[in-house]
Amino acid sequence: MHRGRTLLSVIAIVTGLAAGGTVLDSWALVRVATREGYLASDPASATLRVDSAPAALLALVRAVPGVRDAEARRSTTARLTANGTTLTAFLFTSDDPSARRIGRLRGESGDWPPGPGAMTVERSSVEFSGVAVGESVRLSVGDGDPVDVRVSGIARDVGLAPGWMEHVVYGFVPWGTLRALGVPDRANEIRLVVQDGSLDQTGVRRVAFAARDALQAAGLRVTNVDVPVPGEHIHAAQMDSLLLTQGAFAIMALLLSAFLVVNLIAAMLAGQVREIGVMKAIGARSGQIAALYLTVAGALGVAATVISVPIAIVAGTRYGALKADLLNFDLTGYSVPLWAIVLQATVGVLLPVAAALFPVLRGCRMSVADALRDVGIRDDASPPRPVLMLGGMSRPALLSIRNAFRRRQRMVLTLLALSSAGAVFIGALNLRRAVRGSTDLVFDSQRYDFSLRVSERHDPDSLTAVVRAVEGVAGAEAWSGATATIDREDGTLGNGFSVLALPDSSTLFEATLTGGRWLQPGDSLALVAATGLERQEPDIVVGSRLRLIVAGKAAEWTVVGTVAGGPAPTAYVSREALAGFAGRGAGAVVVRAAIAGEASQLDLIQRTRAALAEHGMPVASSMRLAESRRSTEDHLLMVVDFLGAMAWLMLVVGGLGLGSTMAIAVLERTREIGVLRAIGARDRSVLLLVQAEGLTIGLLSWAIALPLSVPMSLLLGEAFGRIMLPVPSRPFPDAAAVGIWFALVVVVSLLASAWPAWRAMRVPAARALAYE
Amino acid sequence: MTNSALASATADNAPLIRLRGVTKTYPGATAPFTALDDLSLDIRAGEFVAVTGESGSGKSTLLSLVAGIDRATRGEVRVGATAVHSLPEARMAEWRGAAVGIVFQFFQLIPTLSAAENVMLPMDFCDRWPARERRDRALALLERVGVADQADKLPSRLSGGQQQRVAIARALANDPPLLLADEPTGNLDSRTSESVLSLFGEIVSSGRTLLLVTHAPAALRHASRTVALADGRLVSDSRA
Repeated sequence: MHRGRTLLSVIAIVTGLAAGGTVLDSWALVRVATREGYLASDPASATLRVDSAPAALLALVRAVPGVRDAEARRSTTARLTANGTTLTAFLFTSDDPSARRIGRLRGESGDWPPGPGAMTVERSSVEFSGVAVGESVRLSVGDGDPVDVRVSGIARDVGLAPGWMEHVVYGFVPWGTLRALGVPDRANEIRLVVQDGSLDQTGVRRVAFAARDALQAAGLRVTNVDVPVPGEHIHAAQMDSLLLTQGAFAIMALLLSAFLVVNLIAAMLAGQVREIGVMKAIGARSGQIAALYLTVAGALGVAATVISVPIAIVAGTRYGALKADLLNFDLTGYSVPLWAIVLQATVGVLLPVAAALFPVLRGCRMSVADALRDVGIRDDASPPRPVLMLGGMSRPALLSIRNAFRRRQRMVLTLLALSSAGAVFIGALNLRRAVRGSTDLVFDSQRYDFSLRVSERHDPDSLTAVVRAVEGVAGAEAWSGATATIDREDGTLGNGFSVLALPDSSTLFEATLTGGRWLQPGDSLALVAATGLERQEPDIVVGSRLRLIVAGKAAEWTVVGTVAGGPAPTAYVSREALAGFAGRGAGAVVVRAAIAGEASQLDLIQRTRAALAEHGMPVASSMRLAESRRSTEDHLLMVVDFLGAMAWLMLVVGGLGLGSTMAIAVLERTREIGVLRAIGARDRSVLLLVQAEGLTIGLLSWAIALPLSVPMSLLLGEAFGRIMLPVPSRPFPDAAAVGIWFALVVVVSLLASAWPAWRAMRVPAARALAYE
Repeated sequence: MTNSALASATADNAPLIRLRGVTKTYPGATAPFTALDDLSLDIRAGEFVAVTGESGSGKSTLLSLVAGIDRATRGEVRVGATAVHSLPEARMAEWRGAAVGIVFQFFQLIPTLSAAENVMLPMDFCDRWPARERRDRALALLERVGVADQADKLPSRLSGGQQQRVAIARALANDPPLLLADEPTGNLDSRTSESVLSLFGEIVSSGRTLLLVTHAPAALRHASRTVALADGRLVSDSRA
């Protein structure tokens, strides 16, 4: 009797359960795969960056108390040209890559490890770079001669952030290739693992700094010590936050889908009031009748579970694979844990029963006399007074609007579903704008087109003089930099961050202050922290005094301001201040081009590199700002899109909810529709009545979604801050977001009401007289 | 068919309602059920016809066929010059809205519309009166049935008798020459029933035709003609 509504309810529960299940399954899969996969690779507990690491010194590190093992490798930044495109490459070289014990690699296809004159590419770099096994690519480092190498295989390094996301090609090459590229064949990184696997970050840091002290005592210069959170992939926390946020929305969608069960059971009860009266009249107890309907709800849950669990497993595995891919993991060999399936099944069966409880208990409490008297038009609760006061429109229009308010509880649930979807949708659009705005803020402050990193430090004036002389250069500034670490009071050091020194009168960088002030001439040991550093070191506020180790020298610095910036932890200091630690030389030059267009700028980069090389200042690497911006935006917007996907899910549930509400309204008002037809309503009038009622609810939800989107935007911004980086909140929707949501609501309302409206049109006038 | 066409169709003293060999059969679980069996009946304009009979005798089926809300299995149903039995479904609602006013046993007023709005609703559907005149007309009709003071109240605030009067005003909204009433006093106490039946008498006096299905003996006193049905057949036809 209720095939349509039953189907709608099952679809809604399936949607909610499948969505929740997908997020749960993918979370469970990614969690297990990354934990096991990451730990199985025996990731480095700490990495010490050194000038060179002779093999004998490894024994020194291994002898440090708490160190289980240590290995050395060289990482080199290079340029890779493949298929006519030049990309940044990170090359890794170690003595016997296949025997690597720390951060073990796995060959995926072709040769592993690479032979002489060959390179193995890390799999996450393959697709975006377009390199393929068997093809040749051209490598160059600085202004050394380019070397053609053959891509001989693909390997996976689960410890690396995906190359496609970083816009970097990771490659593994033998020492011979490095020599051919003009790079010293000495390791420059020592990676160690600690003995005690239960140590926290601070504990590991103590061991790592003991190793650093041992190396420095042996005369080696350690420029940086990096200690990640033990046992956790670098992006694991962000992924957890993302999945948990999505999980919260999926649960919301599931709960909203439960109200369709309320609708269905209410409709069944509405259509069977007299049957219930008769059953009671012949001796049925309320409990027996309630059990009957709750069994139906349970059966709905079973049906929905049977459908949704396999969907969730398939979708969760795919979604999990996508997430795992982001973390550079492979889900092959992993399956959804049994506990996740059992949890979905339990929720799937029990939720509809819980949802049905209220309408069933209310329906079964109706007296026999009332139930048997169910023959006239249902006199539901009157619409609110303001709605009754509406005027200036035809009776059919009034009827549509007032009818929308007849079943207020049902209307509230429908509005809740639709307006929640709207709030999330608008919130996601606001977040997108905020992220774009934040990226604008970061990149608008950088008024140059590309940057060049020179192999060695040079006099800033000499650097800029050479570059400015290149035709097509509109401006150039030499920037110097160093790596700094916070020396904490407890004797531990923080993770390294970049310190950038700009000319006092810089025109190619215009900071966007978020607190305090910018650097002033005469500032000594003053720094301005960018967003990424504030995020890494939450204690940093304007006025903080920090003991920093810059280029190996310790001093106390004062935070005088904070500026908007990207995810990379960075601080700005004056050139004079940094000169005291790292010398006067500049390691980079930023250039503003007088010409636009990617090809022209790439040509300008080549000519600038050539000019610098000619003057004995070879360039190690170059980066176009546009490329850097695209990479940053790709990172950020992908997360925004994942959050925004939840809005579509909720819109589906909301649309199904509205469809179900309208279907039940038509069912409950069958006699009323019969009366309308009996007094002259044509097909079109009946159709419009129902469509207009659906549209009334839809438009109301649109209006409610607007204020609701303000806290939702703040919530999403907060979630995004936890997942990626804080962005300035944009809680108020712009006209485009309001307009898009309006159009969507209109379409969804009309679609959701279409079938009920068609059913209403089929109600014969004879129903007006059908009392029996 | 417009009301003026109906009027002209009946001007030559031809029956306003003409049924010829009408049979209506409903499918049943075990065998088909015949509600009307080869019924032929003429009703002239201005008649107040009471249709009586036991439950299941075919009274309401007769009313449904005349109103065009159900179709005969066999035979002809004509109202004025309109062959209701063959009128396309697309035109049926338009014809019914203009030509027939229906009064139901349980009033069947739309609960979210006020009394006046309920009366204006058929006018909106048929679009016979300009929009600006509809409220005045509704108030005049409510005045005529004696409930003008209840015009802006919702049906739930009215007594049964008042609701039925509003329902009668609604049936008169498009000035139809034919009123059909299905047990209109079945849900009213005897005093209210009497006043509603008197109102029907006044309406018929003003030139309308009324076909009233009833069980109530009191209704027969107001009717000018009584038709009795049994098992779907005409068993008596008497005039007062």
